[in-house]
Amino acid sequence: MSDRTEIDRALIGSSAAPFAVEVEKGAIRRFAEAIGESAEIYFDEAVARSLGYLGIVAPPTFPTTFRPPSKPAWVHGLDEGRILAGEQGFHYRRPILAGDRLQCELRLTDVQDKRSSKGNMELMVQDLIVTSPSGDVVCINRRVVIYRGQTTSLAQGVSS
Amino acid sequence: MTRAASPKPGDTFSIRRGPITTTQLVMYAGASGDFNRIHYDHPFAVQKGLGSVIAHGMLTMGFAASCVVEAFGPARWISRIDARFTSPVRVGDVVEVTATVVERSAADDAIEATLTAEVDGRVVLRGVVEVTSAVEANPSSASLKS
Repeated sequence: MSDRTEIDRALIGSSAAPFAVEVEKGAIRRFAEAIGESAEIYFDEAVARSLGYLGIVAPPTFPTTFRPPSKPAWVHGLDEGRILAGEQGFHYRRPILAGDRLQCELRLTDVQDKRSSKGNMELMVQDLIVTSPSGDVVCINRRVVIYRGQTTSLAQGVSS
Repeated sequence: MTRAASPKPGDTFSIRRGPITTTQLVMYAGASGDFNRIHYDHPFAVQKGLGSVIAHGMLTMGFAASCVVEAFGPARWISRIDARFTSPVRVGDVVEVTATVVERSAADDAIEATLTAEVDGRVVLRGVVEVTSAVEANPSSASLKS
């Protein structure tokens, strides 16, 4: 345990209110453009279909855009300036496609303490579970966020 | 880098992205919905001890996915990608992503590869990826049940 923890451990296992998303091709295009993507499967339905997809494909990191309408309880009161990306994972059963209507649930799976020479930090392990209207899991997006302690500098290796 | 029709273990593919611009970070903030000011508000980032604005880790992961699609072709889709952000990326940085084939399944043509992103030789991201045939991704032919 670190000397002082700031994230409420009692919230481990809790979820933010479920929310729905509709995947729009314009949102996929803007997301792909922001990354500098040129693959036509993200822009052109005919090309995507010719390669075996059922429509315009969302880039694999697209579920990062699936955000609860209001911030989950476990980030209330946190200083955004101390939040850093630690790890991300996207595990798919099928690609996400333009036109998909999906249900999302963001869960706080775990909170871990981490000490380094640069100071203490807490890791929030969050899982976004993305399901189809029929209830099948389409994607699980694990988001591990680092919360730097008050006096913890930006380590060159923020996560090791 | 040339795309390999028949990748085999040990093959490597690289792409370069950048130099990163503040405009790109603002575009990524808007497209992703991540409006944390550390990514575009320089005085705020400095005040928070970061030295300067830092790029969204997810932007670097986006580059990593681009590398995978360029390496193995858009007819294969990314069924799994995991990444760890090991060091910040800043405005002006050029990011080089390398995918290295670890394994290729003869049965279903799935490919597993490791991913590394570097800025001037400093590792900023490490990851793993699995790609499979797009035809296998068709929901009508693939089982979606866990």
